[in-house]
Amino acid sequence: MLRDITIGQYYPAKSCIHRLDPRTKIVGTILYIVSLFLFRSFSGFLVVGTAFAGVLILSRVPFRYMLRGLRPILMLLAFTVLCNFFLTSGEVVWQWKFLKITKEGLERGAFMGVRLILLIFGTSLMTYTTTPNQLTDGLERLLSPLKVIHFPAHEMAMMMSIALRFIPILTEEADRIRKAQMARGADMESGGPIKRAKAMIPVFIPLLVSAFRRAFDLAMAMEARCYHGGKGRTKMKPLRYHMADLFGYVYLACYMATIITLRIWLKI
Amino acid sequence: MIPVKIRDLVHDFVTRDEEGNLADKKRALDHIELDVEEGQFIAVLGANGSGKSTLAKHINALLLPTKGQVLTCDMDTADDNYLWEIRKSAGMVFQNPDNQIVATVVEEDVAFGPENLGIPTEEIIERVNDSLKAVGMSQYNASSPNHLSGGQKQRVAIAGILAMEPKCILMDEPTAMLDPVGRREVLETVRRLNREKGITVILITHYMEEVIDADRIFVMSEGHVAMQGTPREIFARVDELKELRLEVPQVTELAHELIKRGVPMPASILTPEEFAEEYCKAATGRTRSSAAEENRAETAYNGDTDENCAGEPVLSLQDVRFVYGENTAFETVALESVNLDIFQGEYIGLIGHTGSGKSTLIQLLNGLEKATAGTVRFLGEDIWAEGYNQRQLRSNVGLVFQYPDHQLFEATVIEDVSYGPGNQGLSKEEIRERAEWALTLVGVDKKQWTMSPLELSGGQKRRVAIAGVLAMKPKVLILDEPTAGLDPAGRDEILGEVDRIRRETGMTVVLVSHRMEDVARFADRLVVISDGHILYADTPREVFRHRDELTAVGLEVPQVTQVMQMLNRDGIPCRTDAITIAEALEALQ
Repeated sequence: MLRDITIGQYYPAKSCIHRLDPRTKIVGTILYIVSLFLFRSFSGFLVVGTAFAGVLILSRVPFRYMLRGLRPILMLLAFTVLCNFFLTSGEVVWQWKFLKITKEGLERGAFMGVRLILLIFGTSLMTYTTTPNQLTDGLERLLSPLKVIHFPAHEMAMMMSIALRFIPILTEEADRIRKAQMARGADMESGGPIKRAKAMIPVFIPLLVSAFRRAFDLAMAMEARCYHGGKGRTKMKPLRYHMADLFGYVYLACYMATIITLRIWLKI
Repeated sequence: MIPVKIRDLVHDFVTRDEEGNLADKKRALDHIELDVEEGQFIAVLGANGSGKSTLAKHINALLLPTKGQVLTCDMDTADDNYLWEIRKSAGMVFQNPDNQIVATVVEEDVAFGPENLGIPTEEIIERVNDSLKAVGMSQYNASSPNHLSGGQKQRVAIAGILAMEPKCILMDEPTAMLDPVGRREVLETVRRLNREKGITVILITHYMEEVIDADRIFVMSEGHVAMQGTPREIFARVDELKELRLEVPQVTELAHELIKRGVPMPASILTPEEFAEEYCKAATGRTRSSAAEENRAETAYNGDTDENCAGEPVLSLQDVRFVYGENTAFETVALESVNLDIFQGEYIGLIGHTGSGKSTLIQLLNGLEKATAGTVRFLGEDIWAEGYNQRQLRSNVGLVFQYPDHQLFEATVIEDVSYGPGNQGLSKEEIRERAEWALTLVGVDKKQWTMSPLELSGGQKRRVAIAGVLAMKPKVLILDEPTAGLDPAGRDEILGEVDRIRRETGMTVVLVSHRMEDVARFADRLVVISDGHILYADTPREVFRHRDELTAVGLEVPQVTQVMQMLNRDGIPCRTDAITIAEALEALQ
């Protein structure tokens, strides 16, 4: 049923990567992405691939889940690779009328493709091992130093977690509204895009009205439970770094050091 | 400590125009005086719009007095310094279970209150565990609220309040959106908290059955306290309550009617057992048990045998099976080997609790859902046959969903009702004519035709929603819980209107409900559905004979039927199949 839809793509398992503090994982993912852009030759992938494979094995997320994460970006991937194939100038290896593929193009295309795949692998691994709630908590804590410049870190995190809570509810409600209007003879399946968009109005308006009512109710309920912003708030599950996180950061530091050293000394 | 003390409270809702000038002033609370003692179970009754929710918000300092004073746990709500202390001491549970749960995990939601209060982590964990245990939800601590039933969600909400260690719990119609099972769960929970932990409870409701064991009842009407007293004192005043758009439990009303007819009975009977006891005394001069020994004759009523409907059914389901999310991890069988024929002009009451499959069943009837196996026929034709006109079917089998807010979207009432006929491709004049016909039929006043549907009261919205489907001139009208959330008088009005429409137009009606009393009065045939199977499909009289079987699936026969069966067991000869107050009266005279 609709209420079972999950936001994000958490893969429940008991592993040391799952248990890591979300902050460690967020920082790790950011550094990983940066590292992907630090080198220009294939040999760099060897380092990245090895480092990533290590973490993946520790996380116990099956490799096929990684591939599944690629599915939505397949089009983008193909587009990037092909563009590089055809649009890079250099030594021509194949030509048909105005289309030509160059040796440099093949290399560049393959390089870009692998880089993109590894990028998606990295971010998927984070979302597979971290619940949306933990991610929100982690972001809140990571961004909290910015409160000095009046960045609303707590408010943003609260907003995200409320959105996560209400997406399944509103999805289900949208379905009920759609059915109620179909029972009144609404036709939402036929016609061109404009007609279809128009047919959505009877669904959209009740949904919007309901969302406003829910917002009003929830705000009142939160106030009744003494919510008054992030000031003076404690947490039931505060984020605390453990020994594993220290290892995590050490691992990250070694990884970054390797990449940078290789970049400087071997010009990879 | 005095939990609540209200002196001369006045509240005006003021609307201002763009320049900030006074545009409209509505008096919601009118000189209220109210005292609650520590540890009491208080009920506040009142029809929709009587000001009872406004009153609750004052106790929690969500609203502040226009005039007068509210003291919650000896603190003045108007004093800003006490704000958080007041909200902590008098926690509030709201009507909609979904709109008060903040977090995506049960235990984190319960922790929300203490987190706001700045309680240290270790103590939060302790409080959360204790609170979940107190409401019997410990095993769901790591669940997502989306997977819980309405009753369970309300219990989580109560736990969220308990975790703040309040002295008093305010409940603003906590059961209005729940089915009977959920309602019982929630009420038993608060009663236990009241008894065992001594927490003062203020329950706002319009269900009379919920308040029979309250210590004190306040009845609100048009912003003031119209009556107050113990349940017995209040329920003895049946006629006054009816004037305030409320009702009393069926047995109380039955006793009241008997007294009017000269039977010597006490004026305030609250339960079927009590009724049976007192009636025994009055009728035979003996107690129940001694009467039972002497007389065991059962007189069954042999009167009206309902003629069987002959001919072609309008709608017919054959061996229908319905599976949700087939071939996924969430696969659930909603309906299994369902056979049902619905005949022209019949009034069917469809009964079953949440999750029994009744919502799925009605969506199969107009083709909104497709059966996994089996056939659905309308006037003999398979609705899933190739080339069958599905949209035509939907205007022939009109379905009104539970919440009118899910369908009302146009700027005015008349435009909204015109949406259905508009989709049928009729001419402008015809559309207008049909909309006017439908609105007149459901009894919506002409003055309201140009109003926005959002400005209407709950009962009126429901009428407009029904008109929106009637305007398509369906042959069958299906209503999904059309009385949910309405006060007793509003409920009777809607049911009366549906019955009148059916008599005037000869339409076939299918009414979905979980209130046995409602369907018993009007339906020709009851279809009881449980766990995806049709349990009974017979006249209400026949169905109610199976009291024990119905109780086993969480349904209850009307109180009058219970009473008659009890009396008969006790040896008072009377018909056991009375299903309405009128019938019971006739039988007992």
